[in-house]
Amino acid sequence: MVTTLMNKFKCFFILSLSVWSLWGCNNESITSLSERSVIYCAEGSPETFNPQLVTSGTTIDATSNQLYNRLITYQGKDNTLTPALAKSWHVTRDGRKVTFYLRKDVPFHQTDYFTPTRLLNADDVIFSFNRMLKPEHPFHLVSGGNYPFFQDIALHLLVEEVEKINDYTIRFHLTHSDSSFLANLATDFAIILSAEYAQQLTQQKMKASIDTHPVGTGPFKLKEYRVGSLIRFYRNDEYWQEPTKIEQLVFDITPSNTGRLTKLLAKECDITAYPIAHEKIIQHNDLTLEAVTALNVGYFGFNVNKPPFDNKLVRQAISYAINKKVLLEAVYQGKAELANSLLPNTSWAFDKSIPEQEFNPVLAKSLLEVAGFPQGFTMDLWAMPVQRPYNPNAITMAKLIQTDLKNIGIKVKIVSYEWNTFLHRLKLGEHQSFLLGWSADHPDPDNFFSPMLSCSATHTGSNTTFWCNQEYDDIIQQALQTTNIGLRKKYYSQAMNIISKEVPLIPIAHSKRYQARGNNVTGDVLAPFGGISFYQVAKNNSLNANNKTQNDGEN
Amino acid sequence: MARDKIYLEEVFPSPFMQLWQIFRKTPVAMVGFSCFIFLIILAVFGPILAPHSPIEGQLDMLLLPPAWHVDGNVSYLLGTDELGRDMLSRLMYGTSLTFGLSFIVVVISLVIGVVIGSLSALTSGIKSSFLNHFLDVILSIPSLLLAIIIVAILGPGISNTVWAVVMVLIPQFIHITRYAVKEESKKDYVLASKLDGANPFRILYYSIFPNIVDRIMSQATLAQSAAILDIATLGFLGLGAQIPLPEWGAILANGLDLFYIAPWTVYLPGLAILFAVVATNLVGEGIRHALKLRKER
Amino acid sequence: MLIFTFRRLNLFIFTMLLLTLLSFSLSFLFPGDAIINISGAINATPSQLIEIQNAYKTDSNIFWQYIAYLSHIANGDLGLSMASQSKISTEVLNLLPATIELSLVALFIAMFIGIPLGFIAAIKHNKTADNVILSISMLGYSIPVFWLGLLAILTFSISLGWFPSAGQISLLFEIELVTGIQFIDILISDSPYKWQAFADASAHVILPASVIAVAPATIFIRLARTSMIEVLETSYIRAASAKGLTFQQIIFRHAIRNALIKIIRHVGLQFANLVTIAMVTEVIFSWPGIGRWLIESIYQRDYTAIQSGLLVLSCFIFVVHILTDFIYAALNPLARGNKYGS
Repeated sequence: MVTTLMNKFKCFFILSLSVWSLWGCNNESITSLSERSVIYCAEGSPETFNPQLVTSGTTIDATSNQLYNRLITYQGKDNTLTPALAKSWHVTRDGRKVTFYLRKDVPFHQTDYFTPTRLLNADDVIFSFNRMLKPEHPFHLVSGGNYPFFQDIALHLLVEEVEKINDYTIRFHLTHSDSSFLANLATDFAIILSAEYAQQLTQQKMKASIDTHPVGTGPFKLKEYRVGSLIRFYRNDEYWQEPTKIEQLVFDITPSNTGRLTKLLAKECDITAYPIAHEKIIQHNDLTLEAVTALNVGYFGFNVNKPPFDNKLVRQAISYAINKKVLLEAVYQGKAELANSLLPNTSWAFDKSIPEQEFNPVLAKSLLEVAGFPQGFTMDLWAMPVQRPYNPNAITMAKLIQTDLKNIGIKVKIVSYEWNTFLHRLKLGEHQSFLLGWSADHPDPDNFFSPMLSCSATHTGSNTTFWCNQEYDDIIQQALQTTNIGLRKKYYSQAMNIISKEVPLIPIAHSKRYQARGNNVTGDVLAPFGGISFYQVAKNNSLNANNKTQNDGEN
Repeated sequence: MARDKIYLEEVFPSPFMQLWQIFRKTPVAMVGFSCFIFLIILAVFGPILAPHSPIEGQLDMLLLPPAWHVDGNVSYLLGTDELGRDMLSRLMYGTSLTFGLSFIVVVISLVIGVVIGSLSALTSGIKSSFLNHFLDVILSIPSLLLAIIIVAILGPGISNTVWAVVMVLIPQFIHITRYAVKEESKKDYVLASKLDGANPFRILYYSIFPNIVDRIMSQATLAQSAAILDIATLGFLGLGAQIPLPEWGAILANGLDLFYIAPWTVYLPGLAILFAVVATNLVGEGIRHALKLRKER
Repeated sequence: MLIFTFRRLNLFIFTMLLLTLLSFSLSFLFPGDAIINISGAINATPSQLIEIQNAYKTDSNIFWQYIAYLSHIANGDLGLSMASQSKISTEVLNLLPATIELSLVALFIAMFIGIPLGFIAAIKHNKTADNVILSISMLGYSIPVFWLGLLAILTFSISLGWFPSAGQISLLFEIELVTGIQFIDILISDSPYKWQAFADASAHVILPASVIAVAPATIFIRLARTSMIEVLETSYIRAASAKGLTFQQIIFRHAIRNALIKIIRHVGLQFANLVTIAMVTEVIFSWPGIGRWLIESIYQRDYTAIQSGLLVLSCFIFVVHILTDFIYAALNPLARGNKYGS
C-alpha cells in the first residue's frame, strides 16, 4: 500500500515537473514572439478594407495608414503637405492643372492571394481615382458604388480628367480651382490601389475581393481577418521606406469599454483605443495615457425628414432644453470644449462671434407650444454603441438628454445597435434623432461643412440629418472657389449662422482623442486628424524586462 | 389561543402548521425567513422609503463613494453612480423590480401551474401521455435558456421578461403538482372520502391540497431563487429591464463601465442579488428540512 | 438494449420535429416578413427574392413550407445572418466547438471538485465538514454567475495576474480553424510555437471554465452526497462491514462505484444547465462561442441568426442528453427497461 502510494506520488511529481518546465519554456518564447508583435485593442470591426468606401473612423484606423499610401501626405506640427507616393507635384497658376511625379521604387504587397509582377506606376493611380469618379468604370459599382467622402465634396464635378503623361507622371484636370483639392488628396480616403490586382480579380471573376482582400503599398499587409474578432497584419518587408520594427500587428476587436481596459491592465493588449477610467490608468506606473487635440465635433442630430423634426421650431425648442454644460461634465469629465458650432477653436475659420447656445427650458416649452406640441411627444434617440473621440459615452449622454427633455414634456426612447448596423440604419434614415459626431480628415474647414450638412451628402449617407439648404450649399461652394483666407472665413461664418438658426443638429463638444499603452511600446500612433498609424511603433524590450522585474518584486 | 375549551379535544395541527412548528425551531431557516420578510417589506415600501429618486440624478454628486469611504457623503449612504443617482435608492427600487417581480412571477406561475397540474392529474390516457412527453422535453431545457428564447421572440423589456419567466416556471409547477396529486390520490383517506361520494374537485380541495401545499411551497422557493437569478441575468445581458429602470442586474451592467473607478456600482447590486437568493434558498432549505423531519416522525 | 435504442430514437425524432416546428414558426412570430426572417436575405433584389420564395415554397400551404424548411436544414442551409450577411451554418460551425470545449472543461472541473466533496460530506454526514460543504454549495448556487465572473477577472487577471481575462488564446498565435476545438487545432497545426500555444490556451480556459463550473459543482456535491448516503445505508455495504472490511476498503471498493453510477445519469441534465451558464460567461470572458454570438444576435434583432442559433443549441443539448442516457444504460443494465422520465 505504502509503495504504491509512493509510486503514485512519484508519478505526480514527475508530471507536475514536466508541466512546470513546459510553462517555463513557454514564457520565454512568448516573450520573444510578443517582443516582435503589437496587439492593439480596437473598438470595432472595419466595414471594409478600402477606405474609399467609408467615412467611419474605425475603418480608417484599421486600413488607411496600415495598408495603403497616398500620393501626398501631411507631416509635422503645422501639417504641411509632403511627398509620399508622389515625389513631387506642380499646380498651374490658374489652379486647374495639378501634376504629380511618382516614385519609381514602390512595390505592392505580396500576399497569400496576390503576387505583384510590377512596381507602382501611373496606371494604378488612374485606376484608383477613376474607380470613384467614373460611373461607367468596371469597378465603380463593386461594393455598392458609394464613395462617400469624395462624393460629399463632389470630386466628380471638380475633376474633369485624370491624364497619364507617362508611366510615372499623371495630371489632374480640374473644372475650376479648388482651394481644398490638395488637402483632400492627402486624406486617408485618397489611397492608391493596385490596377494589376484588379485585372487579376476581373479574370477570376472575384471583383468584390478588391475591398475585402486588400492589396496596397503600406507598411503592413493583411494576413487574416476574423469578423468581429481580430485583424492580423504582417510587416511588409519590401516597404519603399524603412520597414516597421514590429513583425506582426494584431487588432483585437473589443467593443466593450471595460473589456478594453481589462485587457490593457491584464497586459493582453499593448495599446488600447479610447480608454475609460483615465485616473486608473494614470495610477499605474507601467501604463501611459496619451491624448491628442483632435479636430472634431460631437453633436445631437435630427432627421428632418421625419415629423416632428421637420418643424424648425421643435428643433430649436430642443436646443434650448439641453444643458450642454452638464453633458460636458458628466460625459467628457469636463475635459472637452463646449461646441457652439461645427468648428473647434483650433481651426483657422473658427468664429468667436457665434453665440453660445442658451439653456432655457421655459423658452423651449413655449416654442414647443407654438410648434403645436403643448403636451410634448415621444421620440426615439439613437445613441452610438461605441466610444468615439467626439463622444466617449453616447449612452450616458442619451440618458442625460432623456432627463432634460422630460422636463419639457418630451419622452425619449433610447435605441442602440451594434456599430456597423447602427451606421447602416442611419444611412437608411430609420432614425428620428441621433447622437453622432465628426472627426476631421484634414485641417481644411470645408471638411466639416461639406460632408456633414451639404445636400450632396444626404445622398451618400454622411449627412444623416437629411437637411438640405440651398443657401448653405451655395455659401460653402463659394468658400471653396477662392483661396483668399479672409473671404473664406467670412463665408464659413455665414454658414455657421445658418446652422444656428435652422438647427439641423445641436453641436455639443469638441474633444480630445485618448489612447493608452504599456510603457514598453514606443512610437507615435495618434494624429490630430485622420486615422492612426502603427508605422513608427516599436517595442522597447529592455523596458519590458525592467517592468518584469518590478512586477516580480511586487509579487 | 386564550379561548376556553368546553370539551377536551385533541388538536391535530394541519400538515402545514406541523411544518411551521418544525421550521421555526431551525435557527438558520428563521434567519433566512426574516430576511425574506424584510425583502418583501422593502419591495412593497421601498419606493416610499427611498431617500432619493432612482432615475433623476444630482449632477453635482457624480460617482460619490459609499459613506464609510473618506470622500463619502452621509446623505448618499451607498454612494452614487455616473449620473449622480443614489445607489441606495436605486437598490431599494430594484428590490421591488427584481425581488418583488420574481415573487409575483412565482405566484402567477404557481396558480396557473397548480390548476393545470391538478386538472391533468385527474385525466389519463393519450392526453396525459402526450403531456408527459411534452413536459419532459420542456423541463430538460434549462430555465434561463428558455427565458432567453422567449425574450428573443417577444423582444427585450421588463414586462416580456416577466412573461418569459412565468412561462418557464409553469411547467415545473405542473410537474410537481401532478406528481404530488397522483401520489396522494392513491392513499386511503382519499379513497375514504371518495367512497363518501365526494366529487373530484371537493376531494382535491379539501383532502389533497392541504397535504401537498408544503411540497408546492418548497418548489416555490426553488422557483423564486431561479426567478431572481433569471430576471437579474436577463437584465444584465440587456435583454430584461431597459434603461433607466433600476433592476439589480441592469444596475450591475450599467456599472460595468465604471468597474475600475467606482467598483461599488458593481459590488453592491451583486451583493443584493446574492442576499436575496441566499435568503430564499435558506427558506427553501428550511422547508425541505422540516418536511424530512416530519416524515421521519 | 434494442428496445431502449428504439425508444430513444423515437423520442429523438419527436423532439427534433417539435424543435424544428418551433424554429419554423419563429419566422412568423418575429416582426417583419417571414421569408426574409427565414432566409436572412435583407438585401435581396426582387428577382433574388422570387428565387428564395420558390426555394421555400411560400405559395404552397404551410405544410409544404415546413417541408421545404426541413429540406433546407437537412442540406445544412440555415440562411444568412441579417447582420453580417454571412452563412449562419459556417458561423455556427466555427462557434459551437468553442462552446463545447469550454463546457466540457467546465464539466470536468465541476465533476472532479463536486463529486469528491459530495462523498466527503456523505461520509462525514451531519458533522462539521458536512455542514461546511453544504453551506459553501448553497452559496455557490446562489451567486449570480455574471458577478462571479467579474470578481474572478478582477482577482485573478488584474490583481494577481495569474490568468488572462479574455478570449480563447493569445492573438499572437496563429492557429488555423480546422475542427474549431482549439486544443485539437493547436495539436494538428504546424506552428513553431505549438506547445506554447497549447499552454497559453490552457491558461485561457481555466478561469471561465472554473466560473462556469461553480454552480454545477454544487449540484454534483448534492447529488454525490445523497447517492453516497443512500449507498451507505444499503445492505451490501452492511454485509461488507460485517465481513470485517475496513472503512476505507468499503468506500473505495464498493461504495464509490455504486454511488457514481447514480450520478452519471444526471450529467446530461447538468450539461444543459452548464451550457446556459456558459452562454452568460462567454459574454463576460469574450469567449468566441455560440452563446455570445446568440446574445449579440438578439441585441441586433438578427432574427435569422436567433432562429437558427436556438435550433442548433437546443438540438445539441438534446443530443448530449440522449448520449448520456446511452452511457448510463450501458453502465447500468437496470436502467434499460425504465420508461423515459420516470
